[in-house]
Amino acid sequence: MKTREPLWAYRLAVGARTLVAVIGGWSLTAACAAALSLGLAQKLPRVEAVLWATQLAWLIYPLAVAWAFWARTLGQATAGVLGPALVLGLLAWLPHRLGA
Amino acid sequence: MPTLTALQRLRTALRPLSPAPEREGFRQAMSWLHTWAGLVLGWLLFAIFLTGTLSFFRAEFSLWMRPELTGLPTPAPDLAEKVQASLQAHSSEVRQWILTLPDERQAHATLLWRDSLQGRFETLFLHPDTGAVLQPRATLGGDFFYRFHFELRTAQKGRWVQEGRWLVGGATLAMLVALLSGIVTHRRFFKDFFTWRPGKGGQRAWLDAHNVSGVLVLPFYLLITFSGLMIFHTLYLPTGIASTYRTHQGGVDSAAYLAELQGEKPEQSRRAQPSAGLDRPLPTLPLTQVLAQARLAWPEGRVGSLQARRDAQGQPLIEVVRHEGDRLQYRPQRLLFDGLQGHLLQAVDAQGPAVRTYGVLYGLHMARFADTGLRWALFALGLLGSGMIATGLVLWSVKRDAQAQRKPGPRPWGHRLVASLNIATLAGLPLACAALLWANRLLPLDTPGRPDAELGVFFGTWGLGLAWALWQAGRRGWCGLWAANGLAWLGLPLLHLLTSAVGIPAPLGWMSLSMGLVGTLAAALAWRLRSPTTHHHTRHTPPLSTTVEVQP
Repeated sequence: MKTREPLWAYRLAVGARTLVAVIGGWSLTAACAAALSLGLAQKLPRVEAVLWATQLAWLIYPLAVAWAFWARTLGQATAGVLGPALVLGLLAWLPHRLGA
Repeated sequence: MPTLTALQRLRTALRPLSPAPEREGFRQAMSWLHTWAGLVLGWLLFAIFLTGTLSFFRAEFSLWMRPELTGLPTPAPDLAEKVQASLQAHSSEVRQWILTLPDERQAHATLLWRDSLQGRFETLFLHPDTGAVLQPRATLGGDFFYRFHFELRTAQKGRWVQEGRWLVGGATLAMLVALLSGIVTHRRFFKDFFTWRPGKGGQRAWLDAHNVSGVLVLPFYLLITFSGLMIFHTLYLPTGIASTYRTHQGGVDSAAYLAELQGEKPEQSRRAQPSAGLDRPLPTLPLTQVLAQARLAWPEGRVGSLQARRDAQGQPLIEVVRHEGDRLQYRPQRLLFDGLQGHLLQAVDAQGPAVRTYGVLYGLHMARFADTGLRWALFALGLLGSGMIATGLVLWSVKRDAQAQRKPGPRPWGHRLVASLNIATLAGLPLACAALLWANRLLPLDTPGRPDAELGVFFGTWGLGLAWALWQAGRRGWCGLWAANGLAWLGLPLLHLLTSAVGIPAPLGWMSLSMGLVGTLAAALAWRLRSPTTHHHTRHTPPLSTTVEVQP
């Protein structure tokens, strides 16, 4: 992070990216665990599917945090984290809507 | 140093591929992330790491803090039956009980029981030969370090437990981020690994210490962090369960998940059916018969604990749980017996590769499988981890103080605050631990709410340490608290000799000797920090100007 802008703008940017990292990162991790569990459960016993998916999903979190602070702009940071979270969240949620 | 290694030549050759100059590099971004994630949650992480390290000796701390339980005989073969008789004499309203049998770490038996299915468990300590109820002092014992480690427990009766677990979870995620970004930040550490320049003083020495303690046991940190997250996955990341165990009514059948996780058959799961007469007291159970069958089933193994309750149909049920030290994978195997005739109903064990992977991660974190030697090794790794966090925190301060030396003006308040919090955490927490052990031996036995009084001394001492560190944010602050640590820890073996159980000559024991060793180290540290002339800040080389930073 470079301090080219005024200090308050820099602090605001850091705060916003922190929110994207902490809350957005968890949302992406959670959505990933939900969608991957559901996908794996087509082939594996339920408990196995949930555990593989949950164990893999944790690895997404540091990647999401890294992206939130590395992306060139705040918009890219947000889109890169919340976009996939939204898509995966829908994938996990829609089957229940349509099926049940 | 001036000769370029092959790696550096390669990097120079690849330079045109590096990011555009106006965009900061990935490494700079990760370095920033490592610094700030590490700083903001570093103090909490240090406390979690240190108390977790102490928890490897949870049983031994519990025993040290209950000296009344030393010198007990070997257990009677029919101890379980004796305990059942003892419990029935104690209360006729027993709904559920869990009996942990004596082993090589704890000579007494421990019984948890309750008289209603919603109530709290009461803990009883039992004589291993007679099954009689023993009356040790009221204390949380080593369980305090254990509970503080994962839920920041502040009182005997849980309060803010869920909040504490979430805070610890957040800190654990920060640890994961700090570890991975730290690999990028200190990426040269594999080459720097054999670089140890304590003589250079100041920043380089702290950086070397941080790198060495970091890279040496990086797999251990990754394992302990990741398994810590997985142990509480039903709290921190339950979305996989929520999407996959959805019922047709739109709810989530988490009881089925937990049952399958344990390897229980669905009909044995703990879904309570309200009309099934669950709430009747337990009858006398055929424990001898059940234990004989368990020993046949596990010829090489030990029985760790026995549990009695009613199943979902209201039938009395006995669970025999294998000793946790018998294998790496957690939780141990179980046998379920019908509580009326003593027939074996089911052998329960986790099945499937993902479940067993989870069990091994869980087992590695808990270290119940470890014998004394391995336990000490894990303890050393935990200390090294605490040291990595501590050196990282100190490095933040030392680096900024060195930069500030080149600029006039007072120390910024933020730098001063960090220095104070470093002192209060890194030296204050060990002092608070020593104070807890002192309180455990010195508070009158009839003190009302004695366990909470002990914790009052713990948090009170920590608070005083913080006040001292806010007042003295420099070398004198460190020196004072380490001197206090030296006195407090060195005094503990003496206190042990003077205050152990009445009538029993107190063996000094390796627990007390280790406490004395901690005191010696703390006193040596305080002595080294005592006067400004020997302190290495004063012969500080101009920071970074003489370093071997090779940036093409």
